[in-house]
Amino acid sequence: MRARKLRRRATKAQNNKMSSVSEGHGPDIPVQHGLRRGDAAARSPLAVTLSVWRALMLREALTRLFSKRAAWAWLMAEPLFHISYMLAIFTGLRARTMGGIDIVIWLISGMCAFFIFRRTANQLEHAIDANMALFAYRQVKPVDTVIVRGVLEGILMLVVSLIIFGAAGLWGHDILPDAPLMVAAGVLGLWLIGLGWGLITSVLTSLISEMSMLLGFVMMPLFLLSGVFMPVSSIPQPYRDWVVLNPIVHGLEAVRLGFTPYYHAIPEFDLGYLFLWALGMNFMGLVLQRRFAERLVQQ
Amino acid sequence: MIVVDDVHKRYLTDHGQGPWVLQGVSFTIPPGLSVGVVGRNGAGKSTLLRLIGGTDMPNRGRIERHCRVSWPMGFGGGLQGSLTGRQNAKFVCRIHGHENELNERVAQIAAFAEIGDYFDEPVKTYSSGMRSRLQFALSLAFDFDVYISDEVTSTGDAAFKKKAADAFKSLTGRSSLIMVSHGEGTLKEFCSAGIWLHEGRAQWFDAIDDALRAYKETIPK
Repeated sequence: MRARKLRRRATKAQNNKMSSVSEGHGPDIPVQHGLRRGDAAARSPLAVTLSVWRALMLREALTRLFSKRAAWAWLMAEPLFHISYMLAIFTGLRARTMGGIDIVIWLISGMCAFFIFRRTANQLEHAIDANMALFAYRQVKPVDTVIVRGVLEGILMLVVSLIIFGAAGLWGHDILPDAPLMVAAGVLGLWLIGLGWGLITSVLTSLISEMSMLLGFVMMPLFLLSGVFMPVSSIPQPYRDWVVLNPIVHGLEAVRLGFTPYYHAIPEFDLGYLFLWALGMNFMGLVLQRRFAERLVQQ
Repeated sequence: MIVVDDVHKRYLTDHGQGPWVLQGVSFTIPPGLSVGVVGRNGAGKSTLLRLIGGTDMPNRGRIERHCRVSWPMGFGGGLQGSLTGRQNAKFVCRIHGHENELNERVAQIAAFAEIGDYFDEPVKTYSSGMRSRLQFALSLAFDFDVYISDEVTSTGDAAFKKKAADAFKSLTGRSSLIMVSHGEGTLKEFCSAGIWLHEGRAQWFDAIDDALRAYKETIPK
């Protein structure tokens, strides 16, 4: 019964996407008001979705990079700020290495990797609210805005990370990863967790207005407990067993391990665990998006 | 042809389900027939247009569109405030699959909207008249069988109203209109049939004059 209902909704949604271009070409009468006629033939649902994604990507990139004065420069500011003051503190403590590797590389890799998750998660939370006006076009679905914003945020954070690592390289630090695939796997896992988080929270914040406050509370402890500037391996048992339940810890360990094989990763490190969470969260998020698709566009 | 069959609609408010706005609305709009929707404020006119335009879904019942229907132009939105008019125009062209003739279409939209340099300013700086000029130009840039207008001309100046009227007239024979307006003259000018929304139900009239008369009889004197 439930499955049938879902399927019916899915075909309905498809029909919606198609109906604007489906049938009924009127006779070709020349126009008087100067605007051209002659639309494209019926497009497939996939073609419609792809053109929506392309349009949304350009729309999102525009506001993200150029809506405020030098908005693109501010993208760099937040991670740079966190890296600098933490570096100042560690220098004050006379720490040169952490977990057996250069403290600068340890800090930058952890910070950039964590920000890939956090930026994506934070931006996606408001993807639906920010695009409310565009749901007047039935081709645009809420889930489209979340996915597109996620891809954009991932790309932007990659560029920001490359610039920060480039700067560290000019300073004389060894920035070339020994196992690039491991780094990529960690980054991908963290981004997917951010995407899943965003898919879930964008629905929740739209339905429950208090939700965004609660999510704000959660972000800070996550920052502290993910091992960004405090090595998880230094946490004593039995507390460490709880901390390693956090999948982000495993993502950060993967990135750092990818940079230097000498890094003392936690013995519990498990890349599969990270991707299991990523898979689960994305599945959950897509289910919520599907379930509340109609509710989300209501005004 | 547009079939509206037993459509029910209510909105979710902060304190649970709101009252029914539409309660069992059924009618069929044949191809090429322009329809005016009348009813008092809050009768569900805009809701009905949003449902027909596919922007929102009914709680119960179904709506079939056997033709190309525009999005509801008017108060319903469709313009992203932080983007300029030009960027909005490009967005709409792209989602309708006109990537390859983008520049021509945007130029035509700009020419029709006639908002001058404001076309390159963010939409949130627009006056309501300028917004409706842009919305109107946007929807006319595409080939629809039915255009949905939610008071799109009411905030415009005399020049724009005339332009809109000319544009609507030029559509006759190829496309039709579904419009909400509180201007009796506008309705009589463009619509032949009428729908009167009253207490969640719709009544169909083959002549717009009869719909207006039925509507006016309920207004206390």
